[in-house]
Amino acid sequence: MTDVHIAATGTALPGDPVDNTTLAKMLGASKEWIDLFVGTRTRYFGWDPATGEVHGSLADLCAEAAAQAVRASGLGLADIEFLVLATATPDTLLPTTATEVADRLGLDHLPVYQIQAGCSGAVQALDLGRSLIAGGRHAGLVIGGDVTYRFLSPRQDAAKIPTNELVNYVLFGDGAGAAVLTAEPEGERIAVRSVLNSWTGRGRQPGQLLDWYGTTDRDSDRPMLAEDYKAIEEHVPPIASEILWDLLGGLGWSLDDIGFLLPPQLSERMTARIVERLPDCAAREVSCVADTGNTGNALPFLQLDRLVPELADGDRALGLCVESSRWIRAGFALEKV
Amino acid sequence: MGDIAVVGIDCAFPGAAGVRAYWDLLVGGRAGIGPVPGQRWEARDFPAVGDSGGFIDDADVFDSDFFSVTPREAAAMDPHQRLLLPCAWRALEDAGRAPGGLAGSGTGVFVGVMGGEWGRLTMSDLAQVTPLLGSGSSAGMAANRISYHFDFTGPSLAVDTACSSSLVAVHLAANSLLAGECDTALAGGVNIVLSPSLGLVYGQLGLAAADGRCKPFSAEADGIGRSDGVGLVVLRRLEDALADGDRVYAVLRGSAVNQDGRSNGMIAPNRWSQERVLNAAYKRAGVSPAEVAFVEAHGTGTVLGDAIECAALGSVHGVPRETPCAIGSVKGNLGHTEAAAGIAGFIKAALALHHRIVPASLYAERENSRLRLGERGLRLLKSPVRLPRGENIAGVSSFGMGGTNAHAVLASAPRSPRAVPARARADAGAAGVFTVSADTPEALCRNLAAQADALAALPKGGAAALCRSSNRVKTGLPHRFALTAHDTGELVDGLRRAVALRTPAPGELRAAADRPWGRPVVAFLFTGQGSEYPAMTAGLYRESPAYRRHFDAADEALAAHLGTSVREAVLGGEEWGGRPELVQPALFAVGYALARTLTELGVTPAAVLGHSLGEYAAAVTAGVLPLGEAAALVARRARLTAALPPGGGMITVSAGPETLAPALATEPEVVAAALNGPADTVLSGPLDALARIAKELTGLGIRTRELASPYAFHSARTAPVAAGLRTAPVDCAPAALPVASTRYGRMLRDEPMDAEYWAGQAEEPVLFDAALGALVRDIAPTHLVEIGPQPQLTRIAARAGSLGGAELLHPAPGPQGTGRDLAETVAALYRCGLDPDWEQLYAPEHRRPEPLVPYVFSSAQRYWDRPPASVGAPVERRTDDPPRRGETPRRGETPRHGETPRPEETPRPEEPPRPVVSRETESNGAGSGDPVLVAVVEAVTEVGGYPTERVVREARFHEDLGFDSVMIMQLKNRVEARLPRVGEVSVQQMLPALRSVGSLAEFLDGVIMARSA
Repeated sequence: MTDVHIAATGTALPGDPVDNTTLAKMLGASKEWIDLFVGTRTRYFGWDPATGEVHGSLADLCAEAAAQAVRASGLGLADIEFLVLATATPDTLLPTTATEVADRLGLDHLPVYQIQAGCSGAVQALDLGRSLIAGGRHAGLVIGGDVTYRFLSPRQDAAKIPTNELVNYVLFGDGAGAAVLTAEPEGERIAVRSVLNSWTGRGRQPGQLLDWYGTTDRDSDRPMLAEDYKAIEEHVPPIASEILWDLLGGLGWSLDDIGFLLPPQLSERMTARIVERLPDCAAREVSCVADTGNTGNALPFLQLDRLVPELADGDRALGLCVESSRWIRAGFALEKV
Repeated sequence: MGDIAVVGIDCAFPGAAGVRAYWDLLVGGRAGIGPVPGQRWEARDFPAVGDSGGFIDDADVFDSDFFSVTPREAAAMDPHQRLLLPCAWRALEDAGRAPGGLAGSGTGVFVGVMGGEWGRLTMSDLAQVTPLLGSGSSAGMAANRISYHFDFTGPSLAVDTACSSSLVAVHLAANSLLAGECDTALAGGVNIVLSPSLGLVYGQLGLAAADGRCKPFSAEADGIGRSDGVGLVVLRRLEDALADGDRVYAVLRGSAVNQDGRSNGMIAPNRWSQERVLNAAYKRAGVSPAEVAFVEAHGTGTVLGDAIECAALGSVHGVPRETPCAIGSVKGNLGHTEAAAGIAGFIKAALALHHRIVPASLYAERENSRLRLGERGLRLLKSPVRLPRGENIAGVSSFGMGGTNAHAVLASAPRSPRAVPARARADAGAAGVFTVSADTPEALCRNLAAQADALAALPKGGAAALCRSSNRVKTGLPHRFALTAHDTGELVDGLRRAVALRTPAPGELRAAADRPWGRPVVAFLFTGQGSEYPAMTAGLYRESPAYRRHFDAADEALAAHLGTSVREAVLGGEEWGGRPELVQPALFAVGYALARTLTELGVTPAAVLGHSLGEYAAAVTAGVLPLGEAAALVARRARLTAALPPGGGMITVSAGPETLAPALATEPEVVAAALNGPADTVLSGPLDALARIAKELTGLGIRTRELASPYAFHSARTAPVAAGLRTAPVDCAPAALPVASTRYGRMLRDEPMDAEYWAGQAEEPVLFDAALGALVRDIAPTHLVEIGPQPQLTRIAARAGSLGGAELLHPAPGPQGTGRDLAETVAALYRCGLDPDWEQLYAPEHRRPEPLVPYVFSSAQRYWDRPPASVGAPVERRTDDPPRRGETPRRGETPRHGETPRPEETPRPEEPPRPVVSRETESNGAGSGDPVLVAVVEAVTEVGGYPTERVVREARFHEDLGFDSVMIMQLKNRVEARLPRVGEVSVQQMLPALRSVGSLAEFLDGVIMARSA
């Protein structure tokens, strides 16, 4: 497949960062517990932790990140020929958030896709974008974002929240990221040399669950959000390692060729554990989760946005992503040309 | 032919009040056809014309105050002229220009108009002809009036080639640009369907559509529906537009105009001439017909016209080609906008290229099979088409009934990606100043709200580029607004707050403090030593490219003498206590860079004052010392200071010199080093003596505070510094600006600021209080700007009460300071009447055009004085009893054809208008009490057609009331008739008094007094 190129990136994080002191107070939880077990220092919420009022919907954040990416790319809106948005938490089921974002950007008469996925959705979007460009499109937007306003809410009864639910409050945050893909090298001129996107969950139990209710089961007491930490801790590090070898092997690159590594971003602690388990290499780690929290589909874009100013001509970078919901392994290899 | 860029657009068409609405109508596949408004004519009286057509909303609205047109004149003006003025304003704004900024330029105006219906309707009663009706009804004036009101001196002409008028106008404008006759041109056309007369003609010719709708190339096509429209584009030579970074919608590659000659009848279309004009245009544009992706056809939807046009299009475009040439006509959406038809198609094609989407042609589902479009290499657009990337070529046709044909060839704008590298995005959150200006307080509020709504609909993002565009476009009108903002969220909130603040409660008077009446008088106060702190101005250095540049220049000049960079020390957060030899140079660099940044932004000080060390940067700003010389001096002074023995210090004391005299007498080594205010003195001397005196003063209830200074500046202990400074000659020039000298405690006269000056300055006391007093007395500054890393002098001055009412500004307010404070300083001065050079406020990546919604004019004034055309019998109507607006005269009461009422007799603004100027000054009804003033007001009211309450004492004849020389003559006659005691006064005598209503009344009062004496 011909290379596509990342011309520019953009990000959006709503409001001011919420630190652990504030969060601990809000939840009635211990700051030390958050520091120790999660490690995430700050996150952003597009809703008021006191009132629950939403001031940054997914469409707001995705449009902000996408507009920033288009502006930085130097392309005009008329140059954008497709839009792909990946999320686990759309504002509405229909119309899709992808179409809302296209409208806010002022795009019209172009294919618009929405991918329902966890954090690997960003890589799926990249994969789809690459196919669209291989199919003859010249430039397009790939966007990823997630928001928590439906799943977390201001609550006073923190003591009663079971730990496996409480952890969601400290793990996640809101955010969006975007990249402009082009056929020819433009803007930042970062070639996407390879994309890995593979579901490997046959017969395996989900590691993460995100449910939704409708009119018939709105009173159900089943959890909206749940994670199987044991399974994640056990499986994600070795899978990440396999993704790394898979990407390198496919390209004939060696570990020493990699200047930058973008590891999976579950939480600061978990990311550290994954990186420990990876083979030794000199590549610089580019992570964001400690500052942004787990923002789902935004994460790889937030990492990319941090990576881009660092990349010099000829530099190579690998991004790794494990979606534990049903074990999707994803990754990408980049090279600045 | 050279390339012409389309850089600005404005239009109003049926169902589409602006460019955005027009595009939405086109891509939405909607039509703007509706019933004939009662204001035009009674549809049932003219069954042959049909009851539908394309009519724009608010064709009677005209913000005459904005353009300083009197109500009387506005009422006499052809609606064509009234609609063109705001359209031209908005089009220029869309081109990224403040229209007022083009005044005096050779901008050309080319306007297509046809018919002259207004003249026929208003001038047919020869007994009622007036000069205002004469100019109001002339077609040529449609263009000339734009030139007059905008003060454009380039070619200005109306073009009438019937229905091809506006495309021929574009052709002529392009030629004029290419010939170098003008550098910017407004081109387009206007058409308002005032009466059913031409509709009757079409009907008699069998060309009128029964349903009032054009159905181009459709099997259902049955003729023309007439429509309103106004559209103007701003054209420039492409290379100029690209050089200035203009947004380019599309490029006019070439155009051609020809004539049918003696063809098959005066008004019959001619296939061969159409072919020739197409080929001529393509040849001129250097493109082959096979390259043309789509043609916006004339496409009126008459059976014969469609057939002939398709035959011509087919024979030209039906060459071997990959895909058929798409065709369509906007007349399906709008009807036939006649003199504005060509510009409607031209704008549609330009927008299609801009958006890369060609809208569908309406009524195309039932394509007329007899046109054999497929066989001819043509495809009628039944759905919108996305254009491929790269350059696309489009043709636009417009044909006149009299046989003048025009074709224009448009191409996509050149693609010029200007990526912003991620590395350069460090100041993505850079602050800018968003500006809005308007002609009245109400208009300012209206436009603030419009901007807030438009910005709120955008994705959130940085504000700097939007701010820069607003500075370029939205400045120049008397009522000013400026808001400093980082991002659009902050901008929208600020604009909404401003609207709320300016919206009076019911019954409350509108507070209006947004109109500066003069320009600010600015004095720079340069701070001295003691104001330094770690990382001073680091935020400003990070965010302001201009400050960065000037600071680096100062650093370089200093480094030549210091052998080291102060930048590293400043930005590295140096603790200054330990590096005395760097403190003075660093403060000089800050002062120099801040002052240069401000002067580059257009903030020119009326005077400067420097406190002690601050006097060096002040001297550079005043043109006394070149940067290099000052840097050498400061470096020498710093070196000499660092060599002083330790043991000295300074304290501040809350008392004046008289109070301190007894204490000072007991400590001869302690001196008053700075007289900062009546109760604000700095003492300097050996530390032990200072400690003793401080104790004594504290005992007397006088507050004292130790300063961090490691030296006893401005005392005998600094004599070695003075001696060192005296040895080297100084290259100094006379001051180019008034300088308040803190050495002399007064304004500098012709004393040179030479070596002797700087030596004395170092060892003598700093006479700040006296110097500032002299500055305030001499210059009467409205603003004092502190040039230093934190406010110090302004605080001292405020304590002393010696500000003389001046406002204080701090471009670098302290450790938290950023580029925002610099922006806010410029914003504050703009609000007070300064016109800054905004460009330097923005980093290069923010210097790109961002579209802003165009000016929103007032819709309070409506001028539609003609009663609807009717077939009824006339009844004599008294001119002093006109029908009310919106009230259709009863049938049988309306005048017969050819017996038209006189618009200028019956101006009737819909709402009781406000006083015309000085809305913010209290006015007790101009005329009350003073018979002379009453007479003047009455005369002005008569001549201008203003309601009495609007003619206030402060109203200015030219600017506010739109009086010209003819009106002045009329005014003179009426004043003389009303005030016989004035007798004969020549215009020459009167002229100097013709500033305002009040000044004329005063003058006449004087004349009467003199005559009766």
